[in-house]
Amino acid sequence: MEQSTQDLCLDLRCGNITNKQFIKGLLSTYNVKSLHDLKPILERDNSEVYTILENVLLQSEEPVLNNEDLQDDEVNCDEDLDDKYNAAEHKLRNLDILSQNVFYPPENFAHVIGNIYRSSFPRTENISFFKQHLKLKSILVLLSDDYPEELLNLYKKHDIKLFTCAIQGNKEPFINIQDETVNKALRIILNPENHPILIHCNKGKHRTGTIVGCIRKLQNWSLTMIFDEYRRFAFPKARGLDQQCIEMFNSNEIEQYALQRKWLPLNW
Amino acid sequence: MNPYIPPLNLGMVINSSKDNNEVIYRSGFPQPLNYPYIEETLNLKTIIYIGSEKSVTDEYKAFITKNNYIFKIFEMSSVRDENLHLKIKHIFELILNKQNYPILIHSNKGKHRIGVITGLIRKVLLGWSISGIYQEYGVYTGNIKGEMDLEFINNFDFGDLNVDFDIDQLPSYLNYV
Repeated sequence: MEQSTQDLCLDLRCGNITNKQFIKGLLSTYNVKSLHDLKPILERDNSEVYTILENVLLQSEEPVLNNEDLQDDEVNCDEDLDDKYNAAEHKLRNLDILSQNVFYPPENFAHVIGNIYRSSFPRTENISFFKQHLKLKSILVLLSDDYPEELLNLYKKHDIKLFTCAIQGNKEPFINIQDETVNKALRIILNPENHPILIHCNKGKHRTGTIVGCIRKLQNWSLTMIFDEYRRFAFPKARGLDQQCIEMFNSNEIEQYALQRKWLPLNW
Repeated sequence: MNPYIPPLNLGMVINSSKDNNEVIYRSGFPQPLNYPYIEETLNLKTIIYIGSEKSVTDEYKAFITKNNYIFKIFEMSSVRDENLHLKIKHIFELILNKQNYPILIHSNKGKHRIGVITGLIRKVLLGWSISGIYQEYGVYTGNIKGEMDLEFINNFDFGDLNVDFDIDQLPSYLNYV
C-alpha cells in the first residue's frame, strides 16, 4: 500500500496522471468509496500524502465559470474527456462552498417539457442561471413592448437569440386570428434548433400559460389537467378566457407541420 | 386517441436536455387513470414514494410490478418527523446514482412533502436561491404557506448527511454547478 501510494504521488508530480486519476488511485488503494472516508485515513496514516491531496483539491476548486470555456476545453483534449477531474463533484461534500454559487431563477420559472422553459419577465440577475444552468439558446417573448436595452445587451453577449411573438392578452372574446398567432409561437418553440428555449411574458401567468396549455394539447393531455396546470401558475388570477382559448385552439395545423419535421412527439 | 391524464401536480424537477434520460419528475399519487400516461410517455425506471406504506394500493403494486419499476417508500408525514435526516440521506443516495434515472418522486397530493424534497434538490444540487425555491413551493401548494417546510429547507445542511455516492455514477447535470 505504501509503495503504490508513493508511486501515485510520483506519477502526479511528473504529470503522468491527472488529478482525478490520482484521487481515484488513492481511493482504490485504500479501498474506500469517497473522499469523505479517505481523508481521515490519510490524515492518520500518511500525513505527507494528505497534504498533497489537500493541494490537489485546492487547485481544483476553481469552478468552471462559463459554458464556452468548458466546451473549448473539451474539444482540445478529447481523449481525456472521461478523466477530467471535476471539482464540482467534490464540492458536493461541502455545502458552504457550493452555496457561494447561488443561481436566481426568475419568478414563476418552471420546466415545461424537454428543453422548453417558462417564466416571468427575466431580470439581469437571472442571466447566470440561464447560461450556466439552462444553457439557453433562445428566448421567446410574447409581448410587443420594447425590450430593456440592458437585457438585450446581455443576451447578445451570451449568444441568446430573442424571438418576439406578440400576443394580445385574452381580455376580450377570443377570435380566430389568434390561432394563427399561437401557431406562429409554437413553430418557434417546437423547433429543436432553438432549444433550450425560454418562453416568457410579464408575469409568466396568462400569455405564457395559454401557450403552455397549447403545448400540452400537443402532448394529448386531458383538458382538466391542462387547466389545473394553468391555474397553478396563474394563481390567484386565473382567467376563464385563457382557458377557453386553450380549449378552442385547433392543433391540427401545427400538428401536421411539426409531424412533417419530426418535432413530435415531445420528449420530457 | 383518448387524451392522457397526467397525475396531479406533475412537474419536472430536473430535465435531461437531449436523451430523455436523467429526468426527475414530481407528482401526486398516480391513480389508475394516470397509468397510461406514466407508462407510455415518461419512460421511468424508479419511483420514490414519500408517504405511508398503507396507502399503496394493490392496483398500484401491480402497475409497478408490470412495468418493472424500482419502487422505494419513505415513510414521512411532515418535516417534524424523527429520523428524517436518515431518510433524506437515502433519497439523495438514490438521486445521486445515474443508474436509477428517470425518477418519479411522488407523495399523495404532490404539494408539501414533494415541495420539500424538490426544494432540497434545488438548493443542494442546483444551487438555487432560497427565494426561487420558496416561489416554486408556493406555485405547487397554491400559496398555502408551509413555514415549517420552508424553514426546514433553509436550515438544511447537506454536509451533515454524509451521503454516500460513487463519483463515477453521479448524474451528468451536476457538472455545471
